[in-house]
Amino acid sequence: MMWIGWGLAALLLALLVGQYLAGQGDIFVSIANPRPLDEESMVVTLKYWGFAAEARQPFVTPEADHGLCDLRVYTTRRQMLVAIATLGLIRPVTVAWRAHAGIQPLGEA
Amino acid sequence: MPIIPIGESGRWTNYHGTGVCEDAVRFGLRSGDAPRGRDEIGLAAAAVREWLEKARVAGKRVRPLGAGWSPSNVNICSDAWLLHTRRFNRCFRIAADDVRPGVDASGLMLVEAGALVDEVSDKLEQQGRSLWTSGAGNGQTFAGAAATGTHGSMVTRGGIQDHIRAVQLVTPAGVHWIEPAAGVMSDAFVAATGSTPVRDDDVFAAAQLPVGALGIVPALVVDSVPKFLVRPIQNLRKVECAALDWLAAGDFRRFSKAYALDRDPDFVQMIVNPYKPFKRPAMLRFLYAEPWRANYDQATPGQLGAGYDALSLLGRLLDDYPWARGALLQFAMKMGYAAGPDVDDPPVHGTWGEGLDTHRPLADLFNASVTIDRADLPHVFELICGVYTRHGGSTAVTLRFMERAQGLLAPARFTHNAVIDFDGPRSARTAEAYARVVELLDREGVAFTRHWAKSCHLDAARVAADYGEDLQRWRAARDRLIPDPAHRAIFGSAVLDGLGLTG
Ligand SMILES: Cc1cc2nc3c(=O)[nH]c(=O)nc-3n(C[C@H](O)[C@H](O)[C@H](O)COP(=O)(O)OP(=O)(O)OC[C@H]3O[C@@H](n4cnc5c(N)ncnc54)[C@H](O)[C@@H]3O)c2cc1C
Repeated sequence: MMWIGWGLAALLLALLVGQYLAGQGDIFVSIANPRPLDEESMVVTLKYWGFAAEARQPFVTPEADHGLCDLRVYTTRRQMLVAIATLGLIRPVTVAWRAHAGIQPLGEA
Repeated sequence: MPIIPIGESGRWTNYHGTGVCEDAVRFGLRSGDAPRGRDEIGLAAAAVREWLEKARVAGKRVRPLGAGWSPSNVNICSDAWLLHTRRFNRCFRIAADDVRPGVDASGLMLVEAGALVDEVSDKLEQQGRSLWTSGAGNGQTFAGAAATGTHGSMVTRGGIQDHIRAVQLVTPAGVHWIEPAAGVMSDAFVAATGSTPVRDDDVFAAAQLPVGALGIVPALVVDSVPKFLVRPIQNLRKVECAALDWLAAGDFRRFSKAYALDRDPDFVQMIVNPYKPFKRPAMLRFLYAEPWRANYDQATPGQLGAGYDALSLLGRLLDDYPWARGALLQFAMKMGYAAGPDVDDPPVHGTWGEGLDTHRPLADLFNASVTIDRADLPHVFELICGVYTRHGGSTAVTLRFMERAQGLLAPARFTHNAVIDFDGPRSARTAEAYARVVELLDREGVAFTRHWAKSCHLDAARVAADYGEDLQRWRAARDRLIPDPAHRAIFGSAVLDGLGLTG
């Protein structure tokens, strides 16, 4: 009986470590022909397993009049540890983006 | 108004986070909608000159910024005014009557300095033309890439700055239009840009590779070749040590025959695991140029072999588990290398621009390199790998090849060059190991130079020794363009002053 308990505990630990590592991976999406400006980022905190997302100002970026090139979503080590320690009640995630410099038509010199 | 303030003053960090400009006041140079390029760059140059004057009166130094990709921090200056140029990015076709008699205008294009290499590539390809070389990524601005002598591995070509035929340069003293003595653009064209012509071979060769210390470049005239296709072959192969002799002798055909196609390759790159470079498979990349045709088997940048980013993801592991470095690095190389078309796969093709991508920011990277005479390769390559790994270097080691590049301060100054890159996850140990490589080359009496943009830790004494007479000529050209030392100081920064380029 004892070893089943230990086995389950090991499995749970492995699941947790897997989540901890995978959570730090980078999710990256980009448009096809990007002309990126500098990267900017903000931390969005999901609360109560996503029932309440922190409503920060959406993408306030000074130079986004040509739209965005790409978006990156990731969790740092510390953010992942906070999420684990709070049983997922508080789940900070970093969202980073790069605005587009714009593509102008070829002109005449 | 082409120059606008951006945000509040504060910190600005470069692409790889190797440097921070504290108390930076940020401005953006913006493209306008003037119908002719010459009018637009004339307006921009006048605005830049006015902005420089304001900075001077305010007692501030200035720093023009491209994509901020240089980890050597030549793009960093604190308590300064920064000029972001990436939205100054229009390109313009040049007509036959814009150039001096005898100059072929068909390959030339007027480029605003903030246009990314990718943009320049696209706009040339739109006209049936192409760049003939560029770096591994194409997300740098053209002016920024040229400023540091960015290069790739086209074996019969030099650096990206070799494409430049004319440079518009703004200093507090004036707006200069710099060309070789033989001249390129017509007097009427130059006058319309609001610039004073400077037709001089030395000044031009200085302005081709200014390291950000000669003033602000609003625009460039860029040359090109007819559009071509490349067929990539990318594979993992155990390379025999003797192959270094073939490469050193420039027998790229033999190298290609042994590991890819029995054809003359135009591009050869070898990425090795420095932990046993000839026992573990190396990542090889060959490009074979073919004449342009419209109905080619088009592939995505990934299929064409752009990028090998997974290397940076394993950074922490490599640092944390030194005993596993060799194996981890090999795993990273295998996983991260875009699975390229090998010899037996159906061939894919792409244009020069299609085979590159703009790179995405991931983990903290370390980039450093040494450029040596290709003939020294067999003698030093294994020694370099040995010393690098013994001191804990945790990156792959890349070998690239190029001919002597243009520009008085071009690091590729040997007739035939081999560039050895140390690119991968950043760590103090890796930086230390690279420093040992530098010591080793000095000890062995091997001549070498280092990249202006990378974390190579150059200093003024070393720059003077490496470039000798050419540095004197570069300084003389600088003093002609910016005679007043107070004006030169405006373009100073801790890093550039330390290199002895601004005094
Ligand atoms: C992912 C990545 C891949 C790379 N691959 C390669 C490679 O394959 N080969 C290679 O050789 N290098 C490579 N590099 C180095 C890179 O090419 C250089 O750092 C290049 O200088 C970056 O251009 P930038 O537009 O970002 O310029 P920045 O880093 O912004 O600026 C470089 C210098 O130019 C000056 N400058 C920029 N714009 C102007 C202007 N308009 N007028 C006057 N001065 C200006 C800046 O003040 C600074 O001194 C790579 C770097 C990265 C991050």
